[in-house]
Amino acid sequence: MSQSNGNHDLFENLRLELRRGCLSLAVLSQLRTERYGYTLRKALAEQGLEIDEGTLYPLLRRLESQGLLTSVWREEERRNKRFYRISPEGKLMLKQLAAEWQRINSSLNGIL
Amino acid sequence: MELLDRYLQAIEFWLPKRQRQDIIAELSEDLRSQIEEKQTELGRKLEDAEVEAILKRCGSPLAVASRYRPQQYLIGPTLFPIYRFVLAVLLIGCVVPRFLIWLAFLLADPAHRGYLHMENVWVTVLYFAFFTTLAFAIVERSGVKLQGLDTWSPRKLPPVRDRNRIPRSGSMLEIAAGVVFNVWFAGIFWPRPVIDLYGAQLTLVPVWRIFFWSFLFLASANIAIAGVNLFRPYWTPRRASLRLVADGLGAGLFCWLLKAQVLIGISASSLPAPKAIELTNLINLWMARTLPWAIVTMLVILSFDVYRIMRLRCVHLHGGSIGPAVKDLSSPMVNGN
Repeated sequence: MSQSNGNHDLFENLRLELRRGCLSLAVLSQLRTERYGYTLRKALAEQGLEIDEGTLYPLLRRLESQGLLTSVWREEERRNKRFYRISPEGKLMLKQLAAEWQRINSSLNGIL
Repeated sequence: MELLDRYLQAIEFWLPKRQRQDIIAELSEDLRSQIEEKQTELGRKLEDAEVEAILKRCGSPLAVASRYRPQQYLIGPTLFPIYRFVLAVLLIGCVVPRFLIWLAFLLADPAHRGYLHMENVWVTVLYFAFFTTLAFAIVERSGVKLQGLDTWSPRKLPPVRDRNRIPRSGSMLEIAAGVVFNVWFAGIFWPRPVIDLYGAQLTLVPVWRIFFWSFLFLASANIAIAGVNLFRPYWTPRRASLRLVADGLGAGLFCWLLKAQVLIGISASSLPAPKAIELTNLINLWMARTLPWAIVTMLVILSFDVYRIMRLRCVHLHGGSIGPAVKDLSSPMVNGN
């Protein structure tokens, strides 16, 4: 029982590790269109990439502090929302990361 | 929405001050959107239990807030192994000798055991731990780069250490020291009624004869072991056990000597009789007082001997071989040529 729990925890850790890098790529890619956090989450979930608020918002802040995103507070439907969009530096980074992703993906397809 | 406000307030407490408002506003917007969507789906207001379920899925306030903070540590992963090593050395160096001395006093000289209080050791341990941690935390915070992190080279690393190899220089030194000691010891302390030691005449107890021959025998045995080590420079379990026996006998004999009050009298042309008696008593007293320290030293030596035997047994049990630890990777055998 405890070994099964241990395996599950280990799997969960490795899964999170695997996802971590991919999320930045997915978020940058989705923000080619301006979105606020909640709609971004929904857009990602619709494409099979669920991401919780506790992961998404710190990630958005980090990407913004790295200059890859820009954000602006704007009122919509009588509520203040923070809208994000990819910056020119972010676009360049996305292009490089996407190429790297393709390389890793094709290598892994061969390996697996 | 009371539950939501309480939740956001709890998160806010743990957030970095400068970003608090911004983060809470954004998180609040997301959670309100989730709640509204659910309400639209159900066609009614959510009950507290349903709001609670949404908030619980989001995570505990502390966990949510922690994701907005950069990873923080007192001592980082680069310094940490060094910190742990330094702390271990300091703590072992502080606790073990004092414990051994306390134990030795307890066994050999209980009347003076109050001289060392073990309780004080824990205060010293706390001081050591505190100041070591503080020093490393300061180094970490100051961002001082460790010397060698950037300029290291494999050529500058220490050579591969084989713990079972006996350095030939050590064996030669042991033989030379043993021979010099034997010659000096036999020349001066040969059992006779009066021993002349650089102008002073010593009268020793008759049992000195036993000490003399035992020491001479043990010193010769050690020379013999060192001689074998010189030509076969790897410890074997048998030789390590022999070293343990020799050291154990030597330790026992030396402790007995310190306790035995071997000096009956001392005389010299320039030494008045009352002074000579006083000096004799003083030498016997200090020899007895040295006993606890000698026991500690002997225990340390014997511990090393025992550790060496255990290490060799482990090597045997795990199918290792006694010999060079790293094979020459360029040899044709290894390369399969």
